[in-house]
Amino acid sequence: MKPNNLLPWSAFWSVVVLLLLLISLNVGTLDTNWQAMWEPDHAHHDIIWQLRWPRALNALLVGACLSLAGLLIQNMVKNPLADPYLLGVSGGAATVQLSLILLASSLPIIIQILAGFAGSLLAALLLLKLSYFGHIRTAKLTLNGVVLAFGFAAIISLLLAMAPPEQMKSMMFWLMGDLSFAQHQAWQFIVLLFAAAILYSKHRPLDILARGEWFAIKSGVDAAKLNLWVFGLAALLTSVAVAQAGTIAFVGLVVPHMVRLLAGNTHRLLIPLSLLAGGAFLLAADTLSRTVLSPLQLPVGIFTAVIGVPVFLILNRKTP
Amino acid sequence: MIELRDFSIARDGKQFFTGLNVRFDSGQFWGVLGRNGLGKTTLLNQITGLLPTKTQAVFVNDVPMEAIGIRQRAQLISYLLQIQEPCLDFTVLQAVAMGQFAWQPRQTDWQQAHQWLNQLNIHHLADRSLLQLSGGERRKVELATCLAQNSPHLVLDEPLNHLDMVYQKFLLERLKRWSEQQSVIMVCHDLAAIQSHCTHVLLLLADGCYLAGESATILNDKNLQRLFDD
Repeated sequence: MKPNNLLPWSAFWSVVVLLLLLISLNVGTLDTNWQAMWEPDHAHHDIIWQLRWPRALNALLVGACLSLAGLLIQNMVKNPLADPYLLGVSGGAATVQLSLILLASSLPIIIQILAGFAGSLLAALLLLKLSYFGHIRTAKLTLNGVVLAFGFAAIISLLLAMAPPEQMKSMMFWLMGDLSFAQHQAWQFIVLLFAAAILYSKHRPLDILARGEWFAIKSGVDAAKLNLWVFGLAALLTSVAVAQAGTIAFVGLVVPHMVRLLAGNTHRLLIPLSLLAGGAFLLAADTLSRTVLSPLQLPVGIFTAVIGVPVFLILNRKTP
Repeated sequence: MIELRDFSIARDGKQFFTGLNVRFDSGQFWGVLGRNGLGKTTLLNQITGLLPTKTQAVFVNDVPMEAIGIRQRAQLISYLLQIQEPCLDFTVLQAVAMGQFAWQPRQTDWQQAHQWLNQLNIHHLADRSLLQLSGGERRKVELATCLAQNSPHLVLDEPLNHLDMVYQKFLLERLKRWSEQQSVIMVCHDLAAIQSHCTHVLLLLADGCYLAGESATILNDKNLQRLFDD
């Protein structure tokens, strides 16, 4: 390993994020030009800063949260197939938010977001309660998570079956991920940065935990405590993402793998790079989702797969 | 010095041995012999503090294990696990450097990690990926990780597994040399290796008796016969 790889890689991903941000601010149903960004009197100024900017931030936030959470979960259960929705939190949020759409469709968005956040945290607590025996039994947690997700899926099907047709579309959109509820982002960014800072301070114990729980304990890492941190922060990050944008498939599964394939397995690199790459990935997907068939807006989940599947398959073939 | 005081070995609710009193001192190379399923690995897991004991029975330098923090334990004892847990991939050099965590939780000493690879004749593996090693190569990397932990007690669960004959001989001689300053406790099924290298042995017999002491006195024909008896 070259210990100094962090700077070039983070510089690279930061440039990618900035470029994508510039592009996404200027394309859409109406292609604006670059000057409009800086001239307050320009007719397109508001479109850029009132509509596209918050949505772009939302994509960066949600993408970063999901990929960081995916990184944590894959480490905790040592399973490359794990993604943040394994924690059952998306099911919890979906159940609460879809019920709210059904029962009280005119609630303010902030209430919906907070209710979804609460729902997902409750689901995570339930999973923790079921899998905790003085310490988290990760093998049990994996199975419990999968089974709980099935349970929530059944509730969601029930809600969809009961929904009147005019509400079907907004519910389906939520289920496939929707970044247009771009509001109230300040506290979520604080949560994200707080989680990332804590995790970065634990990057060496996290490396060691990735070698196995027994290995970690015998090497001097309190694996039980660290697993609780990992679980708690992953649940928090996923809850932020799900409450904000519904369930967006693929980001939490694929981005950590892409970063691993490119930059290796040390968390000193993985934590900042997943954050940046996750944001970039979702921003790119969202920009595509609202421009490809504009003015029609497609669910962003389609494009996370459109970009993610080929990029991942190619990377996975080209790396040893 | 690691000491067992009135120690019991139990596994899955079944009691195999009770009232074990053994002291493992530095300068001693202990071999632990016994048949499969008698709780040898459980014993090592408890000696190293990975598993709790029912009563206070393991003492390191007269301090009960329960009173020693997890990182402090790692400073006192390095442990070679028998089984390979599922894990994510790292390079061999990164993996070995993880052994330094107990003493240096903040920074990594790459130079020292290189030295341990050299010591164990596996420097050519430094940049290889952990998950692509052969069974024997992987075992050597785990050993190097334990040694990089730099602790006065070395506890090894079947260290010769997967190793070729040449390397087994090399390792046993190295362990013998290290045991002059450290204490080494090794579970091993190779009677000849124990006879020729260990200064002390702990024999765990199928009838629930145990014998502990200097190999010269314990490893006589009569006791060895008991080891083979049903």
